[in-house]
Amino acid sequence: MKQATAGRILSFLFLFLVPLTSAYAGAEKGPAIGETLPFYSLLPFAGMLLSIALFPLVLPKLWHHHFGKVTLFWVLITVIPLLIFYKMAGLSEILHIMLADYLPFIILLGSLYTVSGGILLRGTLSGTPAFNTMILLVGTILASWMGTTGAAMLLIRPFLRANARRKNRSFMVVFFIFMVANIGGLLTPLGDPPLFLGFLRGVPFFWTFSLLKQLLVAVVVLLPVYYVLDTYFYKKEGIADLPDEGINEPVRIEGYSNFIFLAGIVGAVLLSGTVKWGEISMLGVHRGVQDIVRDGFLILMGVLSLTLTKRKIREDNAFTWFPIKEVAILFFGIFLSMIPCLAILQAGARGELSWVITAVREPVHYFWVTGILSAFLDNAPTYLTFLNTATGGFYTGVPGPEAIALLIKENPVYLAAISTGAVFFGALTYIGNAPNFMVRSIAEELGTPMPSFFGYMFKYSLIILMPIFVLITFIFFL
Amino acid sequence: MKIDKILFPTKFDEFSYRSLETLLVLSKAVLKEILLFYVIPRDDVGFVPYGGYLKGEEERLREEARIRFEDWQRSLAEHGVNSRIIIEVGDPVPKILSIAEQEAVDLIVVNKKTRAAFDIPFLGSRTFKIITRSKIPVLVNRYIVEFEREGKIVTRINGEIFKKPLLASDCSELSDKALDLLLFLDGLIEKAYVCNVINSKLSKCHDRSALDTIENDSKRKLAEYCDRLKSAGIDAEQHMGAGEIAAEIIRLSRQVGASMIVMSTTGKNRLTELFEGSPSHKVSEKSELPIILVP
Repeated sequence: MKQATAGRILSFLFLFLVPLTSAYAGAEKGPAIGETLPFYSLLPFAGMLLSIALFPLVLPKLWHHHFGKVTLFWVLITVIPLLIFYKMAGLSEILHIMLADYLPFIILLGSLYTVSGGILLRGTLSGTPAFNTMILLVGTILASWMGTTGAAMLLIRPFLRANARRKNRSFMVVFFIFMVANIGGLLTPLGDPPLFLGFLRGVPFFWTFSLLKQLLVAVVVLLPVYYVLDTYFYKKEGIADLPDEGINEPVRIEGYSNFIFLAGIVGAVLLSGTVKWGEISMLGVHRGVQDIVRDGFLILMGVLSLTLTKRKIREDNAFTWFPIKEVAILFFGIFLSMIPCLAILQAGARGELSWVITAVREPVHYFWVTGILSAFLDNAPTYLTFLNTATGGFYTGVPGPEAIALLIKENPVYLAAISTGAVFFGALTYIGNAPNFMVRSIAEELGTPMPSFFGYMFKYSLIILMPIFVLITFIFFL
Repeated sequence: MKIDKILFPTKFDEFSYRSLETLLVLSKAVLKEILLFYVIPRDDVGFVPYGGYLKGEEERLREEARIRFEDWQRSLAEHGVNSRIIIEVGDPVPKILSIAEQEAVDLIVVNKKTRAAFDIPFLGSRTFKIITRSKIPVLVNRYIVEFEREGKIVTRINGEIFKKPLLASDCSELSDKALDLLLFLDGLIEKAYVCNVINSKLSKCHDRSALDTIENDSKRKLAEYCDRLKSAGIDAEQHMGAGEIAAEIIRLSRQVGASMIVMSTTGKNRLTELFEGSPSHKVSEKSELPIILVP
């Protein structure tokens, strides 16, 4: 049975590899891979992202149990032709993206997830409009410092618990996704995965603070809208007139030591962006010593959190490794299948995607194209793709970090448009950002009916977020 | 110590119901209620990558569990045993432990693997976590077991589990609690055995006279246990063993033909447990008999 399955998988792979390898074979090896890679080499990346977008909608159960195999498929049809036709250069690209991008990325997400999972907010919370608005504000502020995933996981259960007596809870969770799981992550590289990828590529830690204006515009519109909506439903439901249930547990936070580990993570990331301790070569990939020290320290923070946090706290938080395992597997596929796309974009006008570079010229284009694609594909690879488009367009042939430094110095509005688009538009759909589906999953598990994929868009995100994005466009990117 | 209320978590394995049936004799004592508990693992229905929650799948699993439990309930009712169904989504081990505490049950019954190859423990990781963490007595039940003995595969059915219990005592206060549990089972026991094992570590570091003192103290304690059992109308017999504790308890259980082992857990901390292991957990891993662990 297993042999038959393996046979089917191999035949399937072969069917995909034959046209791909012939396409690759037509390309000559050049000094830069991106200049010779064929357009077809983008197919696995598109396939990987479309799998993430479509499988959960069309075949959710199959996807839940087999997403690892789907990921492996797209990885193999990316990696095998690269290794066959570009040999050491292909291997070098693979090692580089794994060691310099994927590994630090997963270590950061894993440590933030572990540490935030050790903090528990207990007590009887009252779901009044003022309290809920405050939770959203606190979550938005925390998101930039403990990651959108960390802040969302910390607050979603207390938020739902506080509103257990409320009838209309769906809109609350939707606003929670908007603000805590997405928009709040704009201010630091810790906030949202795309910004950390930018940081790894050379965007300074504090540069993202310059996006505070965009964040404030979104928050200043969203919070009052939420408050008005919540007040309307609160009055309509007559919650204030209901008798007190009589259980009043004082509000308290448990797992305080994790705030120290969180500070450790912030400090380590900050330090790695401000010092230069030389470079070492790992399997031919040059990595800064400070980056390796940072990664080691982040792992240490995670291990200390796991060891020193009471097991009961994690259990009451319903902490599970499954979501972060999923993210690690999916991003393994995203990063590897993304190699041809990044290389072609880096080649600028000499690559197969020169038309993208020609078409996407103005900040407004970057904001909307990065944004729309981030909404339907994952925002992290989309951010990198358009960061490379911008640097490839302005500074063709200039190595990554230098090109980014030049972009920040000479054309910072482009990076602002890409960053804001990637982070904000992640809230437009359930699949725009990883915490969205975690929040949705927890809400549904705890009995809050959530809108469908299209319900979320047509009832909420398009109506509420689009006008804000248009406003941001007029203020900052035109 | 009493057994009024039992928590019976199950994954609906092949012999789960048979395992449940072995408990029905407890209705002759004062068993009041069995809680039939199924945990839908959160990871099976939640956190679909970029998809959310499989509500339909949860409802299907819930319905399936309910139908199976209701079928079991009919049989339980015929035996005069009350039962209640609880189905929840969550992480199985913490859920089982928290429901046990919340419902103030007297015994958690976990069902174990039916087969074990040579040197592979009978315990799964989930059961191991439950027995190491529970503050409530746990019965590790094994209705049918296949195991290797003297090079041959032996099949054993553990049907009348309460008939010939072996109380493996370390002469501590916790062993007294385990004895109380046996006393509660008086109408069900044909003959009880009590034993104590002199650890080989003690033999190595004590001289002859010190060992004699330890042995005499142990025998005296075992005799006390036997007297208490006999005065409750339970025939009892005492045995001494020496050597590696877990292996010796298993040897004694086979020697006397015990139907189950009752022993206290030592309450070692996680670090000590990691380096030294615990005899009760080792016995749970290696013995083919059902075991009640009293914390």
